[in-house]
Amino acid sequence: MDTFAAIFVPDFALQAVLRQEAESCSKSIALVDPSLPKPNIIQLTSPARAQGVIEGLTASQAMARSAELRILSRSLAQEQAAMDILLQTAYAFSPSIENSAPGVCTLELKGLGLDGESALQDWAAQIVAALETLSLRVRIGVASTPSLALLAAKAARPTLIVRDVDAFVSALPVDVLEPSPSILDILERWGVQTIGELLNLGRTELADRLGPEIVSLLRRLSPHASRPLKLVAPRQTFAEQVEFEVEIETAEPLLFVLRRFVEQLARRLDVIHLVVAQLHLQLKLGSGAVYEHHFRIPAPTADVNTLFRTLQTHLESVRTETAIVGLTLEATPCLPQTHQFGLFETTLRDPNQFAETLACLTALCGSDRVGTPVVASTHRPDVFSLRSPQFDAQASGAAHVDAAIGLALRRFRPAIPATVEFRGERPALLRSSSVNGAVVEVRGPYRSSGDWWDRQVWTREEWDVQTADGTLCRIFRTGTECFVEGVYD
Amino acid sequence: MSTARVIQLRQLLREKIPQARLGLDELTARPLNSWATGIAQLDDSLHGGLPRGALTEIIAPQRSSGSALLRNALVARAAAERQIVAYIDGHDSLDVTALEPAVVERLLWVRCRTAEEALKAGDLILRDRNVPLVILDLVSNPTMELRRIGATTWFRFQRILEMGSTVCVVLTPEPRVSPAQARITIRPQRRNLAALDRESVELISELKLEVSDARRLQETNEQLQSLA
Repeated sequence: MDTFAAIFVPDFALQAVLRQEAESCSKSIALVDPSLPKPNIIQLTSPARAQGVIEGLTASQAMARSAELRILSRSLAQEQAAMDILLQTAYAFSPSIENSAPGVCTLELKGLGLDGESALQDWAAQIVAALETLSLRVRIGVASTPSLALLAAKAARPTLIVRDVDAFVSALPVDVLEPSPSILDILERWGVQTIGELLNLGRTELADRLGPEIVSLLRRLSPHASRPLKLVAPRQTFAEQVEFEVEIETAEPLLFVLRRFVEQLARRLDVIHLVVAQLHLQLKLGSGAVYEHHFRIPAPTADVNTLFRTLQTHLESVRTETAIVGLTLEATPCLPQTHQFGLFETTLRDPNQFAETLACLTALCGSDRVGTPVVASTHRPDVFSLRSPQFDAQASGAAHVDAAIGLALRRFRPAIPATVEFRGERPALLRSSSVNGAVVEVRGPYRSSGDWWDRQVWTREEWDVQTADGTLCRIFRTGTECFVEGVYD
Repeated sequence: MSTARVIQLRQLLREKIPQARLGLDELTARPLNSWATGIAQLDDSLHGGLPRGALTEIIAPQRSSGSALLRNALVARAAAERQIVAYIDGHDSLDVTALEPAVVERLLWVRCRTAEEALKAGDLILRDRNVPLVILDLVSNPTMELRRIGATTWFRFQRILEMGSTVCVVLTPEPRVSPAQARITIRPQRRNLAALDRESVELISELKLEVSDARRLQETNEQLQSLA
């Protein structure tokens, strides 16, 4: 016989909104749907209910009953994220899942090898615990059909395995069948409160009195009325999003929310045994503009501190023109990479720490002043660029380095303007803010030029000179101006 | 396995895992934890090479004395061993076009404008502990900038270094780094332009280096105290 499990999220819309602030569940909070013509309260927390607030009240009526009541708006984006979490987590426990309704996921247990009640209880408890860490409190019901499993989930605290269908069904209140108001009214007038009492009236008699609707409702209770699931694969989107009620102007509250987002994403990926390879941050500004930044995680990880530090280090140097009204953080997952370090290995021990240090160095010195140099393919002197270091990609083992020739040049950037007296073609006296004196030895001129085909044309004459105090330096002349390029050291 | 291989392996283990006890023999003759530079003058005087987990100061009191030559030799040696090198350029003076491609690809170059910026960069890199060789070059920085560096900065660097096995070399025009375990002074030496055509190895071998190793001095004092 087939077995199905249903995961049910009670007050789904409210839980989706409160997922980022788990501590608020113990406070008096009600949810309204602003998209409705009359935005009444649709869901509420138990403290709010205890203070006399009920579904269907307007916000002002609810506030009149509870001064502490906090009213939040329904968020479809948050619900989508919560549904993604539900399906992604369920997919980690069964390959056959169905997106049955908002806040309801049905799983087929065939082939999972869950024999015996204790194995089923453990399995269900694992799902409840996994979703609990993601701030979703769920109930799980296991039965022989998807409909019965859902009914069991709604009655579960937090898990319920239905073995005796008749006994389980008989005890359920009639309203779990969700009949039309007219039928419910009739049943109330008859004094029928449970499904057991309803079934005692006889199926044929009920069909005669109440019509085909009750037949279809009762068919859902049959242990033989199974149906194939409409299987889905969960979206591979791992994003957290929030629209702030109050605009954010400083980094502190933004980092507070970001930390929660990172925790959520890391937990979501951890449940399905993945790690974060990239993060994509979007800040929606009050002006309507969007600030975006991609973060590549050098050593993919699900470690919250590492991921958060990466964001924090970047945001410390970010200034926006207007306040922040919305935030989205999306993670791109990948499989965890394991790496065992060897005694002779020379790669980075902690690439994430190194990336963070590079970000700090870049903030300190500037992006054009930190990195691995790349010498340009030109004869123009001192032309290079800096790229982000990629030490991980290097092979281990000894490298061949050719023996250098001569002394090394310590450059002046920019070159220091100099006054040079020439005797014929030879510099004889050098005056500058750095090197001064009579020239006692000269080599040159070495003439070079290039880029004559575009506007960056350059031409220069170069000399290596030694001044009377023993300093060896390189000077050059471009046009009529002379410069000291550097000192040999 | 030959004895030489065993000794080499033990030394390697000692460098990687300083806390490990590798045998009773090391209690009597314990070689210092060093990085061999490949420069005979230095390695002999420093009993194996530059100290790991400690500061080394190279003092170049005069221009054209060969401090950049020595610096490039250290960077090239590390690159040949495929080690990562962080070069903190206190006054943005490195001539990268003269470096070998194999050297450049293992180099993290931080182009600073002032000594203060260089020290901040040095602090970040030393705390990172990913880079086995850090060179902080302050030779070209104005003396006024160097005089503003408090001694506490160097002691802080020393404390950071003690927790790992990073080799940190500071190049200065005058003695500044008081907690340096090894101090190398390049004595002034007049050269002519012919030096530009000679091999660097040859020029390095001609450098007049004065080396003092505080570690050996400390060990000797400890031994004398124990004898007394």
